[in-house]
Amino acid sequence: MSTPVASAAKPLPEWSRFRFPQSLYKYAAALATLFFLWWSLGTLRIDIERLPGILGRMFEILSDRYWPPDVNHVLGSGYIAAVVDTFKMSYVATVVGLLIAIPLAWFGSFNMTPSRRFLYPAARLIVMSCRSVHEMIWTILLVAIVGFGMLPGTLAMTLFCIGFSGKLLAEAIEAIRKGPVEAVRASGANQFQVFLFAVLPQVRVAWTGIAIYTWDVVFRAATVVGFFGAGGMGHYLRESVQRVESQEVAAIVLSIILIVFIAELVSAWIRARIAKAVA
Amino acid sequence: MQGDVSDLSRYDHHAARIAAWRNRSRRVRYVCYFLITALIVWSVEEIVVADTDWSRISWESMLRSAQQFMSVDLSIFRSLMGPALETALMATLGTLVGLVLAVPVAWLGAMNISPLGRTTYVIGRGLMTLSRSVHEVVWGLIFVAAVGLGALAGVLAMGIRSIGFISKTVAEAIEDVSPGPVEAMRAVGASRFQILLFGILPQVIPVFIGNVIFEWDVNIRRSTIMGLVGAGGLGLALHRQMASYNYGGVATVLLVILLLIIAGEILSYYARKAVI
Repeated sequence: MSTPVASAAKPLPEWSRFRFPQSLYKYAAALATLFFLWWSLGTLRIDIERLPGILGRMFEILSDRYWPPDVNHVLGSGYIAAVVDTFKMSYVATVVGLLIAIPLAWFGSFNMTPSRRFLYPAARLIVMSCRSVHEMIWTILLVAIVGFGMLPGTLAMTLFCIGFSGKLLAEAIEAIRKGPVEAVRASGANQFQVFLFAVLPQVRVAWTGIAIYTWDVVFRAATVVGFFGAGGMGHYLRESVQRVESQEVAAIVLSIILIVFIAELVSAWIRARIAKAVA
Repeated sequence: MQGDVSDLSRYDHHAARIAAWRNRSRRVRYVCYFLITALIVWSVEEIVVADTDWSRISWESMLRSAQQFMSVDLSIFRSLMGPALETALMATLGTLVGLVLAVPVAWLGAMNISPLGRTTYVIGRGLMTLSRSVHEVVWGLIFVAAVGLGALAGVLAMGIRSIGFISKTVAEAIEDVSPGPVEAMRAVGASRFQILLFGILPQVIPVFIGNVIFEWDVNIRRSTIMGLVGAGGLGLALHRQMASYNYGGVATVLLVILLLIIAGEILSYYARKAVI
């Protein structure tokens, strides 16, 4: 009880924004960050002197060579067919990927997995390895194995879909309420029946949202898999890039941005509608 | 609906309405199922039957191509260390660019602090969607076109691509801040900027840093393919090995990519744990 008296007797130290050791750490951290920036720019061979005027130069190049976009190129029937192909690839990949990802999500959810020792790590490993490799690398590998065309693109997207949706679906399972599960289990249901009658009804809405979102992401990737030898719009992009037809490239890139933007809006709208219809 | 239980017609009316709704929703569901199946059949027909030349593809040929990747060419392992470092640095700088650019976008896109209300809010949300909805390969091509070949294009592409995720999560965190500190600051006469700096920022910093670390992890994955469109790093090495049909070398590059990604994942896991 004597402490307050003692501290009151002591004169308060004069306040300052930075004290001795803390301020030193702060300056050291700032200095280290600056040094890191300087060093990494050097390692990446990025010219620091060229950075200030970069926006102006970027604008100049884009307006000189890429403007106006060659709109007729993307309105041709070949390109429209490629857009439809892209849609088909993304659609098949999403549906097949989801069908594979659903059991994996069940096995890979910590609370509901039928076997924590074997199936759980196995499912997690599959989903993780699909996830950790970038979808374009899958595309390149599969094009090397299967050959050019829509099939390798679809397979690559399927793997990507498994990795992407598997994690989200499993997280949805991990968030369910335990009550219905215990009730169904108490009535003598086996593991599969528990999944079917206690887990599935709880995650149905979340999974529908995830499925649509996954399609959206897969479609975005499907627009460019053609760049690496699979079919779809990306194939046109590659041809124009290789022929250095800048205005065609501009038109294709703009069309990709526009189409993906629309797909994203549609998917967001459907997801919102589902959420509203359920609530 | 209290009391008057004898009025059964009212309940009949309700029951009929529920039954009609159920019928209708069932019909909608069947139409949905039918559409999904029809689309699948149509697409599979095109992809697997029409577009694939099955006479050229056989199990043997596929196995042979797959086997080529099995002979890992470890002689180039040492020469890949430089590109691996480059890839990691590109991802880090790209994340830094994204972090800096995400702050103003989050400021525009958070409803409660958006400077001009509705107008700037829509602009901010639009920028987020634009950044997220364009694939990194497309951003890479755009920036390679604009600033030339090299790591700078990759850094900028990943920076722009990162804005969407970081600013969206931060804007949502800003919309959810507890109003107490903000009101307290307003009560003592703080300006808008001061409220932002001392009332809102401290509350969203953990979300911000956590998501930046997450995005860094994702950016490592992205930067491994930036070289394929002309922005250095491991992607360039992959492209070179691929172009010279050295499949063993391709396998080695893939191995290094995998090691880098695992290292990034472990690092980001512990970094996130330390922050949150």
